[in-house]
Amino acid sequence: MKFYKDHYDVIVIGGALAGLSSALMLADRGLDVLVLERHNLPGGIATSFVRGGIEIEAALHEMMSIGPKENRLKVGKFLDDMGVDIDWLPVPEAYHASLPGLEVTLHPGLERFAQEVDTMVPGTYDRVLELLKLCDTVFNSVNELSIHPMSKAKMLLKHEAFVKTAGYTTKEVIDSFHLPQKAVDLLSPYWIYVGSGFSDLPFTIYAVLMADYVGYGSMIPRKLSHEMSLKMAERAEEMGVQIEYRQHVDKILVKDGKVYGVRTARGDEIYSDYVISSAYPNTVYTRMIEPISEVPEKATKMVNGRRISLTAFSVILILDRPAQELNIKDYSIFRSDTMDTDLLYENLAGLGPYRYLTCICHNYGNPGVTPEGTCSFSVTVLPRVDGWKEVKAEDYDRVKHQVAKQVIGDMSAYFGVNLLDHVLEAVIETPMTVARYTGAWNGCIYGYAHTMEDHIVARLQTAEEEKFIEGLEFAGAHAISGDGMGPAVTNGRKAAKNVLDHMAEKEAAK
Amino acid sequence: MKIKNFLSDVSGASRVTKKRLQSFEQASPALTDMDPIGSVAREWHPGLLELVVTSIKPASKTAKTIRLERTDGKKLPFFYAGQYIVLNFRIGESLISRPYSISSAPFEARGEKPFAEITVRRSRGDGFICDYVNDELKVGDVLTGTMGLGQFYYEPLRDAGHVMALAGGVGITPFVSMAREVAAGSLDIDLTILYGSVSSDDIVLKEELDRLDEECPRLKVVHVLSGEEEGWTGERGFLTADIIQKYSKGDTSYFICGPQAMYTFLRQELKKMDIPARRVRFEVFGQARDITAFEGYPLELKDQTFTITVVRGISQVQIPAKAAESIVVALERAGIRIETGCRSGECGFCRTKVLSGNYFVCPEGDGRREADKDFGYVHACAAYPTSDMKIKIPIL
Repeated sequence: MKFYKDHYDVIVIGGALAGLSSALMLADRGLDVLVLERHNLPGGIATSFVRGGIEIEAALHEMMSIGPKENRLKVGKFLDDMGVDIDWLPVPEAYHASLPGLEVTLHPGLERFAQEVDTMVPGTYDRVLELLKLCDTVFNSVNELSIHPMSKAKMLLKHEAFVKTAGYTTKEVIDSFHLPQKAVDLLSPYWIYVGSGFSDLPFTIYAVLMADYVGYGSMIPRKLSHEMSLKMAERAEEMGVQIEYRQHVDKILVKDGKVYGVRTARGDEIYSDYVISSAYPNTVYTRMIEPISEVPEKATKMVNGRRISLTAFSVILILDRPAQELNIKDYSIFRSDTMDTDLLYENLAGLGPYRYLTCICHNYGNPGVTPEGTCSFSVTVLPRVDGWKEVKAEDYDRVKHQVAKQVIGDMSAYFGVNLLDHVLEAVIETPMTVARYTGAWNGCIYGYAHTMEDHIVARLQTAEEEKFIEGLEFAGAHAISGDGMGPAVTNGRKAAKNVLDHMAEKEAAK
Repeated sequence: MKIKNFLSDVSGASRVTKKRLQSFEQASPALTDMDPIGSVAREWHPGLLELVVTSIKPASKTAKTIRLERTDGKKLPFFYAGQYIVLNFRIGESLISRPYSISSAPFEARGEKPFAEITVRRSRGDGFICDYVNDELKVGDVLTGTMGLGQFYYEPLRDAGHVMALAGGVGITPFVSMAREVAAGSLDIDLTILYGSVSSDDIVLKEELDRLDEECPRLKVVHVLSGEEEGWTGERGFLTADIIQKYSKGDTSYFICGPQAMYTFLRQELKKMDIPARRVRFEVFGQARDITAFEGYPLELKDQTFTITVVRGISQVQIPAKAAESIVVALERAGIRIETGCRSGECGFCRTKVLSGNYFVCPEGDGRREADKDFGYVHACAAYPTSDMKIKIPIL
């Protein structure tokens, strides 16, 4: 029986947000696209699962770059344009910071945020707002430059702030504002979603993160991230994309430096001149390219030279009381005994006790998300892969429970309520869970660490030279725009654009 | 926007680019496939295993215990006591899968001579496959399976340190696994098993349960017979609130596994005891015995046979499908592989897209995601055709 066509314009490995975004954009241009997804549903970690009759969000805390219907941001607009109609709900706050000497809930909107910081740390309004506006300027430049590259001279003229901050760390730029430590602390909690300490985190990344999240707020889909993933997949199929689930791509077939197809674990050989891979470059260059001799040394050195970023550990609880009764009062709580991100980054290299905890109670953004009288509460740590790499299979269950008990214990102490007395369902997600379902290299969800050695501006500059195999593109957290579900969409679009550009070049050469 | 004075530098971009390229130049050129986190994930969940039957022993008058080992002799994957294995059988033209609670303990899957056991009773549950396993399967037979599935196990974040198992018939099997694990010291709970049977002949794995009860102070096994039997000095009757109360001690989690009728009965009994919802866990009970008995089922269609067009990739075939049998059963009869897990509508392994046609979903244990419902996805083990249909399933 013949399950595949003789040839596709593009094969996309992985039906998560990046791969589906590629597929949508390519199908929109009339191309014949095949998506091969290893799991039996789309979305990767942007998914949900059902326990005890309750559907539970697997990973999404907040989706950035969506914006309200009348004023969509980059990702929201793309989804609208593609005809992917998601029932977005606004997240009601930026975050609740629970830090030494600080307990405060901050809200989106640059002015409002600055005002709220000022209430806690009087006399800082102007400087905080100035910093946030600088972030916003850089953010707008990045958005424009990622679509319309321009000469350096022109860039300096039109995107001065972007150019001038490019060489500096987040710490260097923030320090130049001479803010009291407490104000800096309140501007820091969201760091974890880009996951490098401030003395090594490019300011460009911090700026984009803060401007997008604090400036415009965030959204969640009513029917959890599976709604988003599924609607993207369904729309893609409607546009003629062939999506096949439970297809694990084993090999990418290469000849004379050019891609010509893939082979699945099932043994199907499928042909195309273009492959967009959601699999990590590490996976692709060490085990997927066939023959392996087609992997140039430069590619190997590149993957060996990059630092894998963060993975995820979450304990998700369905509790048998409404959130208020358990003293859970916010959608999102960041709690730590320090806001020194460099120290915290070190702490993330181990297996705990973890000091920086991110908590989400979805009921505050999505009231109907659990049955009446119950709530959902999760504690997430985004550890580096280092510590988890040392965990042996026989110790895995013990370690995961030990970490789970620590983080739930810490939050129980904070709330003054033993959460473990109220558990209807408990799910522990670990780096291994991510690896199991998505195949992500070492269960990493954040691609490569944003550091001064692997700066996004540098990534953009060298992108062309890093195309080692013709016809092979990468889309996912490991691609240029980096981690997060919003950037995943952007990465997918970028990969599709690269394919389209290459096709146009070939056409022109004829 | 005025940039802070010291940031007058415009060469940042070139500087960071140079830095990045330098770090690559200094990197090792060795191809290293170092994905230890992925390796642990694969050790726990290696996917489909090739298994060989290495022994078959009686477990009661009507039940047998079947021991399985990997054909390559390697250790079986880790799992939690209470979880199940899915075994795949080829019987004639049909490709059939069934979930079985693993009756052996997790430590036995990782020992010197690693194995997993299932215990199957004849002609109960869903018919001919039980008989096939009991009558046809023999030592040396090779089959495939996936193990370490299901949510019916002790979770320390959630459950009380005292677990009371309420078992009926062959529903004892997950608790035998737990009991062995407790006795071996590798599961840190006190376990009381209240095991309801009709007669002492029906008690599955009685000798072993009694031996474990004797040996392990953390374990108590109480047999409860519902039928009259001369000379029986143990507990009698059904698993009522009274008898459950009698053996409960302090904070207790109740784990329930047995026939469907027992679930209905126990729900009432547990209600009388005012036990919080978080302390009660039911194992999924497998395929609905008779879908036509459920409320809302269109009885007028029950004897019809429809045609299902099955799409896989760019191919499609047509197969007959009886109204009173699930879509999974129709596919299996036609020899079309579909992955299944719990066969209770819960786990979603058999998630299937309905392209057209009507269907009835078993209201008990519908584990579908909300967005899936909106787009016509069903868990095919719990969905029944009520017209001709067109569906899309993964290529396996």
